[in-house]
Amino acid sequence: MTKLSNITGLFFILLICIITLLAFYGLIAFSGQGADLALLTDSYFHAILLFSIKQALLSTLLATLLAWPIARALYYLPKLYFKPFFLSLTLLCFVLPTLVLITGFVSLLGRSGYLSPLLGEQWNLYGLQGIILAHLYLNLPFAIRAFYGQLQNIPNTSWILARQLKFSAWQKLTIIEWPALSANFALIFGFIFILCFNSFAVVLALGGGPQSTTLEVAIYQALKYDFNIGEALTLAWSQLFIAGCFFMLLYRSNSVAWLAKDSHLGHWQNTHSTISKIAYTLIYTITFVFMLAPLFALLPGVFAASYTLTLFTSISEALLLTLLLGFSCAAIAMVIAYWVMLPIRQTLLAQQTQRAIILQWLANHSLIAPAMVLCVGLYILFLPVIDLDRYGMVFVVTLNVLMVLPFAIQQIRARLIQFDRDYAVLSASLKLSFWQKFSIEWQYAKSILVSTFALVLLLAMGDVAIFSIFGSDHLKTLPWLIYQYASSYRINEASAASAVLLSIYVILLLYLERAKSNA
Amino acid sequence: MLEINQLVIKLGDNTLNYQRTINTGETVTLQGVSGVGKSSLLLCIAGFVKASSGSITFHGKDIANMACDNRPVAMLFQESNLFEHISVLKNALLGTVQITEEALMEAANALNISDQMHKMPTQLSGGQRQRVALLRTLLRPEPIILLDEPFAELDNHTREISASWVANMAREHNKTLLLVTHQNEDVEKLGASNWVIK
Repeated sequence: MTKLSNITGLFFILLICIITLLAFYGLIAFSGQGADLALLTDSYFHAILLFSIKQALLSTLLATLLAWPIARALYYLPKLYFKPFFLSLTLLCFVLPTLVLITGFVSLLGRSGYLSPLLGEQWNLYGLQGIILAHLYLNLPFAIRAFYGQLQNIPNTSWILARQLKFSAWQKLTIIEWPALSANFALIFGFIFILCFNSFAVVLALGGGPQSTTLEVAIYQALKYDFNIGEALTLAWSQLFIAGCFFMLLYRSNSVAWLAKDSHLGHWQNTHSTISKIAYTLIYTITFVFMLAPLFALLPGVFAASYTLTLFTSISEALLLTLLLGFSCAAIAMVIAYWVMLPIRQTLLAQQTQRAIILQWLANHSLIAPAMVLCVGLYILFLPVIDLDRYGMVFVVTLNVLMVLPFAIQQIRARLIQFDRDYAVLSASLKLSFWQKFSIEWQYAKSILVSTFALVLLLAMGDVAIFSIFGSDHLKTLPWLIYQYASSYRINEASAASAVLLSIYVILLLYLERAKSNA
Repeated sequence: MLEINQLVIKLGDNTLNYQRTINTGETVTLQGVSGVGKSSLLLCIAGFVKASSGSITFHGKDIANMACDNRPVAMLFQESNLFEHISVLKNALLGTVQITEEALMEAANALNISDQMHKMPTQLSGGQRQRVALLRTLLRPEPIILLDEPFAELDNHTREISASWVANMAREHNKTLLLVTHQNEDVEKLGASNWVIK
């Protein structure tokens, strides 16, 4: 049974790779040409590459550096006001459909935004500053949550010992706190860097011209406006190469040593001066306002919309389809993520580190593969042989599964590897069947599996890029409907639809956060 | 018959050698100073440590090259015998085949842990955890039982009860029992032959 499950896991990894290869093959076969290597010496390419790295590096540095004091505030002041809501909000921000965020940002900081007059005449939302701000909004909450999780894993005994040994603040920081954070710091930093480096919708909406274009947007432009496949391939290979190298390094530096078994123990209360308490509360409040502001900025549009039966029907139908696609993608992604982890865990147990790194890289490569290349490549390849109007939804689900899969794997892997570290020998000794082992693992990892399901569900529900290529005219998802309203300047309707989508996100988040804490 | 024939285990710079024949249904206690390789031998028989050379046969069949899942062995480790996140009862039923809850409770009663079965492992003392693991190991169907210091955390009275229960179970089910102990009286209580490793 173990062998069979490992083979199934390897089969899924192979399938993921084949889909990517087919997409590239689709583009190459259609154009009958390979990558345009002359582009590598072009100043246009250099400008795009430099900007991609610059904006990703700045966004990541800001997100991680700012997240640290906020995570400390959450950790050291357990009784901060509305803390559970704040934590749910951090997750909401990370999964927020980009179109909803952009609509909120434009209402707030755009040319006629509510806050724009306060920022002076020089202020412009479009360009590097707008891109960094949006990336910060999407990724700062993720970093806060990740760092907070790391801090929570510090064993109580460390703090008790520190107190007994009369540690200074500096000693606490360097001997206890930093080792807890640094264990996964590189992974968190790298993960955010890759997300920003491959950013598409944010840069498309807030960027413009070669001065503020990323490789992913340049691929889209090469395919959509010039249909220059040679150029698109060069850009795609470059993106794959750079992000891939970074990704490979990440998997080498990863460690889960701080996810020890006693992580559920109560939190040791550190004492803090009044000044530091005020400072922490202030930082926390500013972050709260930053996260809520673009969401509240949608409200005037929501009130101004005229709620006709047509609008109501359109939103309801789109919502239903969004939920259906989201749940299908999330369920399939979770099943595949679990199966894919089986051979990876097996190689880690056998201490075949190199093989484990390669398998993880292959299983997660869709995180760095340009989404546009995957979509357009498969579209071109299958257009002559499959009725894409009829079966487009199959591709929407498949590609969305591919896109959210790395997130699912990333979330569950640490807990499953920890299970193996704690119990692999015992499980083997008891000769447990696959289902017995699965049942025990389920109870061990239920909380992380449920929250990961929530995460990938929300990510899949927010998709626009894949639906824009494979979706049909008579079936619309809610994000796609928002895009259509926004692109035809029906901002009030866009705001209303955004508010509905946002409400569903909030309901799902609250429900699943509760399920997670009860697990 | 369990035959350990010219078995060599290499642990770092140490080379450990073993040679012994154990009859089916026989109980053998394993003694020796710390670090001499008692636990390593049990782990090797169970399939968790690889031997450098030699063979382990049971009823004439070489088991040294079998995967640990396929070996006719049930083992109790020195520690980490229970899943912390599932109940004691569920833990006790794992690996056992066709054991009813009644039979399990009867055994638990004999070991004075019947009132602990519906708790979580973290609520148990070291000695109670040890007895839950002991109970499960002896109830498993495998003919070879390996126990690594099974009575280490028990007081004298409980130790006596547990040792006599183990001896009865092994005799009743014709188990080939190999256990590590530092206490000479265990050898007597279990009616075992003693193997001192040097």
